[in-house]
Amino acid sequence: MPAPQCASCNKARAALRRPRSGQALCGACFCAAFEAEVLHTVVAGRLLPPGAVVAVGASGGKDSTVLAHVLRELAPRLDISLHLVAVDEGIGGYRDAALAAVRRQAARWELPLTVVAYADLFGGWTMDAVARSTAGSGRSRSCCTFCGVLRRRALEEGARLVGATHVVTGHNADDMAETVLMNFLRGDAGRLARGGGLGSPGEGGALPRCRPLQLASQKEVVLYAHFRRLDYFSEECVYAPEAFRGHARDLLKMLEAARPSAVLDLVHSAERLALAPAARPPPPGACSRCGALASRTLCQACALLDGLNRGRPRLAIGKGRRGLDEEGPPREPQPSRPPTSQSVPDF
Amino acid sequence: MAAPLSVEVEFGGGAELLFDGVKKHQVTLPGQEEPWDIRSLLVWIKKNLLKERPELFIQGDSVRPGILVLVNDADWELLGELDYQLQDQDSVLFISTLHGG
Amino acid sequence: MCEMSEEYRESAPKGPPQPRLGTQDQKCVKCKEGLPVVVIRAGDAFCRDCFKALYIHKFRAMLGKNRLIFPGEKVLLAWSGGASSSSMVWQVLEGLSRDSAKRLRFVPGVVYVDEGAACSQSPENRAKTLAEVKLVLQTTGFPWHIVALEEVFSLPPSVLRFAAQEPVGTEGAYKAAVDSFLQQQHALGADGVERKSQHCSQDPHSHTGPPTTAQTQALSRLFDSVKTLTAKEELLQTLRTHLILHVARNHGYSKVMTGDSCTRLAIKLMTSLALGRGAFLAWDTGFSDERHGDVVVVRPMREHTLKEVAFYNHLFAVPSICTPALDTKAPEKASIHRLMEAFILRLQAQFPSTISTVYRTSEKLIKAPRDGCAAGPRCLLCMCTLDVDTADSTTAFGAQTSHLPQMQPPVAQAGAAAGPCCCAGMGGAPGCCREDPRAQVMEQLCYGCRVNMKDLPSLEPLPPYILSEAQLRSQRATVEQEVREYLLGDSEDETGTGES
Repeated sequence: MPAPQCASCNKARAALRRPRSGQALCGACFCAAFEAEVLHTVVAGRLLPPGAVVAVGASGGKDSTVLAHVLRELAPRLDISLHLVAVDEGIGGYRDAALAAVRRQAARWELPLTVVAYADLFGGWTMDAVARSTAGSGRSRSCCTFCGVLRRRALEEGARLVGATHVVTGHNADDMAETVLMNFLRGDAGRLARGGGLGSPGEGGALPRCRPLQLASQKEVVLYAHFRRLDYFSEECVYAPEAFRGHARDLLKMLEAARPSAVLDLVHSAERLALAPAARPPPPGACSRCGALASRTLCQACALLDGLNRGRPRLAIGKGRRGLDEEGPPREPQPSRPPTSQSVPDF
Repeated sequence: MAAPLSVEVEFGGGAELLFDGVKKHQVTLPGQEEPWDIRSLLVWIKKNLLKERPELFIQGDSVRPGILVLVNDADWELLGELDYQLQDQDSVLFISTLHGG
Repeated sequence: MCEMSEEYRESAPKGPPQPRLGTQDQKCVKCKEGLPVVVIRAGDAFCRDCFKALYIHKFRAMLGKNRLIFPGEKVLLAWSGGASSSSMVWQVLEGLSRDSAKRLRFVPGVVYVDEGAACSQSPENRAKTLAEVKLVLQTTGFPWHIVALEEVFSLPPSVLRFAAQEPVGTEGAYKAAVDSFLQQQHALGADGVERKSQHCSQDPHSHTGPPTTAQTQALSRLFDSVKTLTAKEELLQTLRTHLILHVARNHGYSKVMTGDSCTRLAIKLMTSLALGRGAFLAWDTGFSDERHGDVVVVRPMREHTLKEVAFYNHLFAVPSICTPALDTKAPEKASIHRLMEAFILRLQAQFPSTISTVYRTSEKLIKAPRDGCAAGPRCLLCMCTLDVDTADSTTAFGAQTSHLPQMQPPVAQAGAAAGPCCCAGMGGAPGCCREDPRAQVMEQLCYGCRVNMKDLPSLEPLPPYILSEAQLRSQRATVEQEVREYLLGDSEDETGTGES
């Protein structure tokens, strides 16, 4: 069975069939369409206004690599400037290779890069130290939970450091689809109510955040990286992803095989869910410690760090968090290297 | 009787980790009664190239969902998937979408 | 992708329940006496009698707390022959056999849809199944209606119309109705009312006779033309709903009861989610579904798990009939429905709280469009309020309908053609291809039904009522548009009235 002709240029042979439309396109026309769609998402969704200084959360992986590359192509039209911000979680062996990939990208694309490290931001806590601490308290699965919360905070700090007005992350349609599946399976109505949308406008002093690739499926992101010959880092984190997300991911891939539009269909569902007012989270206030947006006294990051410092990391997550209070002497963390100063290194 | 084929098999996106980290493999498929298609190529790969945890690469008689297959740089969905008949000098690329982000 | 914004939460479904004591010395958790026969709810062992009492209580409590079914109201029980709907029919029978104070006060009838033609059943097997069906129906003593799925080819277009409901029953109205019913019952004497209220003397049983060969062929042709099992499942569901709605309206039933168990509803919820029906989950899986207006669908078995149903039916000899389903002999890639069912049941085996978690979350969904989405026209097929926005919007729908110009056509191929006509994709911009019947139908569908329709290459095999109604609606829209333009042209300050 020979590949059909490209439905756009009618010249080259098609290289893929687009999951969203069933259209068969050649590599060049697909990449052009992909870029046009991201441009449309940013412009029509009013995500990044002209003049914006955009911090791109760069992990070296495929999503952030594609995001940085596409935004760099679009930057002149959008009239924005880009700054890569990478987070060094302090995961021995894994992070060094990923950061090397980010450095190569920054050099090749001539984009400024700043690396912020957990150890510097969070009083000496590296992810390896957190993992050791939580391993004693039960399931190491909560690693991803800690890491996600802390990375979000680290990215925000890094973005402020470089004077960014906006933060973008590489989340794609598959991430959103997995998340909505997981939120149902775990009964997280509050998170479901917040789902949908392409980002948050930046309430409570936080920088506006958005996900310009949210309407692009993982498959298309990977194919874009392939056709544009982008070099990305593709090793799994040593703290394997949370088992539960693994279930949702496997399910999503099977659904996609049965119906190519399933990923976007799930995103559509997430955009349209209607929850009872009681299930919606209360309007957020400010963290009593750092001032960031928080639905309780402490924001998630501060609550996590507080628990870690007191040697009770599990307090900060799940139901335990309700019992969290400000009393009790803080405990010394047990980092692999001595805590460094609070200042953030600039690269 | 199909003649032996020389094809390039490549792994990317993290799939290479199941093949000792080697991305490109120039392989010769022996002559056999039936023509070589992707289905039989997968069986051959499992037997000859795959180093560990086959279930992360092959499920049933196909690749694990989430692994993209490109034949001569075109998505195999355009080419009949498992039934695509390999030609001499074809290149087959497997890209995992399941690793890292 | 690392979960950059994936905050945290450690509430993955809990692990398996603690091991129970040996069954030898164990007693029923309820009466502390009886020998336990069934374990429900993570480790609670019930004896036969306590299980029966609990099962019946759940059914009555579900009806009681919702107060939706009025005394004397005609209720159509949708019976597929399967375990859950059979159990539901027997629960109604049980409820009617009680003494007068506790007796259910509505008037039931049963509908059975013969789907043999869609599932490629041979005429002999269909006849055999129907004989069994009638035997079971006769033992219930209820009025019944057997309809073949082929009858969709003679449905009127009006079945697809929303019929305004009489003023919604308030708490006060419900009490008033109960009081007047009791008075009437008192006046007639307790025995008299039982016969009297079953006012179905004119036609207690309807069976329109076997469908013609031509109709059966037309139905097979329709299902054969659908490219995926997913779309076939959805089509069957749609046609079945329309047919049951028609039977209900024709015979004066204002409620339809379906036997969806909690297990089934959790699977259905996740399936609907994956089919792009996020906006309609509360209708698709809630206790009551008012989308048709005059006939309300209710799901009284929604707190019974499939395990409870199976045990009850086994212990109390509730008959059920096994018929081949659409997905028998399905290909390996199967359907969204099959994948989701297998996934949920597997996860449930691993984490026993999975189904109840999904079910409880579904309770927090509401039957209203998400903030900022106005109520508008209804989907031609599923009759839910349309959940699509404009093409080119920054949504999942917009992403599939947009006609973006190629931003930077490859140098050698400048002037590349734009995307295909809207009809090829999700249904395109309004006004485009007005003449094309396919575009006309697409425009009248919700997101999920559009995705399904993509797997139906031709409209031609569809039953005529669907196409007629699509045409009628389209004509009405055109006329309304013309009127609006006329009014606007006539007096500038008068605003045109929108579609009701």
